[in-house]
Amino acid sequence: MTTMIEISEVSKLYKNEEVVSKVNMDIKKGEIYGFLGPNGAGKTTIMKMILNLVKPSAGEIRINKELIQKKSYKYLKKIGNIIETPVFYNQLTAKENLELHSEYNDRLSNARIEEVLELVGLKSVGKKLVTEFSLGMRQRLGIARAILTDPEILILDEPINGLDPIGIKEIRELLLFLKNNHGMTILISSHIVSEIECIADTIGVINQGKLLREVQLSEIRANGTSQLVLEIDNPEKAIAVLEEQFGNPEIKQVGKTLYLKNTEVDQSSVMQSLVRANLKILKIEQHQETLEEYFLNIIKGGESA
Amino acid sequence: MMKLMKLEWKKNHLSKYFKTTLIATVLIFLITAFMAKMAQNQGELMFTNFNSYMSFVNIIIRVVFVIFSAVLLSRLVIDEYKNKTLQVLFTYPVNRKKVIQSKLMLIMGFCFLSILFSTIVISLLTFMVNPKLELFPQLLELGDVINTFPTIITISIMTACLSLIPLYFGMKKKSSSTTITWGVIIGLLVNATVSDGAATVNMVQLLVIPGILALVGLTIVYFTFRHIESQDIL
Repeated sequence: MTTMIEISEVSKLYKNEEVVSKVNMDIKKGEIYGFLGPNGAGKTTIMKMILNLVKPSAGEIRINKELIQKKSYKYLKKIGNIIETPVFYNQLTAKENLELHSEYNDRLSNARIEEVLELVGLKSVGKKLVTEFSLGMRQRLGIARAILTDPEILILDEPINGLDPIGIKEIRELLLFLKNNHGMTILISSHIVSEIECIADTIGVINQGKLLREVQLSEIRANGTSQLVLEIDNPEKAIAVLEEQFGNPEIKQVGKTLYLKNTEVDQSSVMQSLVRANLKILKIEQHQETLEEYFLNIIKGGESA
Repeated sequence: MMKLMKLEWKKNHLSKYFKTTLIATVLIFLITAFMAKMAQNQGELMFTNFNSYMSFVNIIIRVVFVIFSAVLLSRLVIDEYKNKTLQVLFTYPVNRKKVIQSKLMLIMGFCFLSILFSTIVISLLTFMVNPKLELFPQLLELGDVINTFPTIITISIMTACLSLIPLYFGMKKKSSSTTITWGVIIGLLVNATVSDGAATVNMVQLLVIPGILALVGLTIVYFTFRHIESQDIL
């Protein structure tokens, strides 16, 4: 797969404070790249740098192999975006805003505007002024505007803010549709893992301006770690029993609690052997590490480092 | 460039400002004519001839349209910064310098044409109604009116340029009210200097101060947007 957005060694200084520091990112064509990090981590700044609204202090950004320079603007035709909460011309109606957008992009088509409005569920309010819109409606209109000209790249900065649960689901489905049917490359940022874990192919974790890790979601899912948590009155004896029974499983002991790493270990056979050895099981549970914990661990690890 | 100007026009509903220009023109004429007549009724002569009448009218016209320009500046430029719509505008595949240029050209063009329109309309109106109303005791010929046009054009151009000065103050805090307030201040200041004893002021004095201020206006624009392409838009 070819690289669509290539960010290499990019840093940004604001008043001598480094808000983005030596970030390297590779976003492949046709993938959904989830950009994860707490508020103020530098997500928006990186997105603005891709759009040339903010100029990097160091490093290079390439869009489809074309190097972005301070005065570049033609490449912007390929990119649809929402940065922060979407803003519109308040004195215009939703439809007029979209018309204006397509005219600036040199692609006016009324049919397309209707189509997009329908897609985001705003068809009935197209003639209303944007000032009358709620936050969620503005967000929907923002998405409509971003995809209006069928761009190759979509940059969405927390697009799910302010949407209701149904809206969130619809937008997810829309993004997957755009990826699968139009081959769009989508960069989507969020500070909530669950928002993007079900659609992203790759996730980049960022904190305090540093890209901590870039992982394929399929990889994490495959290596998903599940643990068996046991609380036993006599842990030493239990370890001996379990080692005898299951060869050498990975066991971690904390006080009276045992953590069995091995996913091969079957809960019922563990219970059986422990009961047979006359051990009292105070508690037993299967514990699956969620993506959320996985990423929180990365972020915490990054902070302490 | 023409396309960008057209889009700005559409975006800001600029056609409705034509109506405002028309109303302002009519009002200025009515008020000044009323003042002239009232003074006559009091037994005092306010204007002795066409030139003294028009120099008074011109002051009001310029004050009005410099303020008008400031309003447009705040809508087309300051508001885009303030409402962050500039961020959207600058993610379009258009040259940023041209975007700003087209905005400023529109404002200057509007200011220039409004002043020109207003002055000429009032001159002609005066020419037509003076025989009946006698705003001033002078037998007016069309030639007298047409002779003033070259000066009007020069001054209109200068006023259009100097009407950009409020941009400097407005951009500091990205504030519409600051922009318009400075529009009022500049409008009054400039015209107070020029108008002082219109009869005794010669052409050089009449043009030097607005000329300098016009240059100041253009310089401000240049320095404000010099780095627009390499600046961070926050």
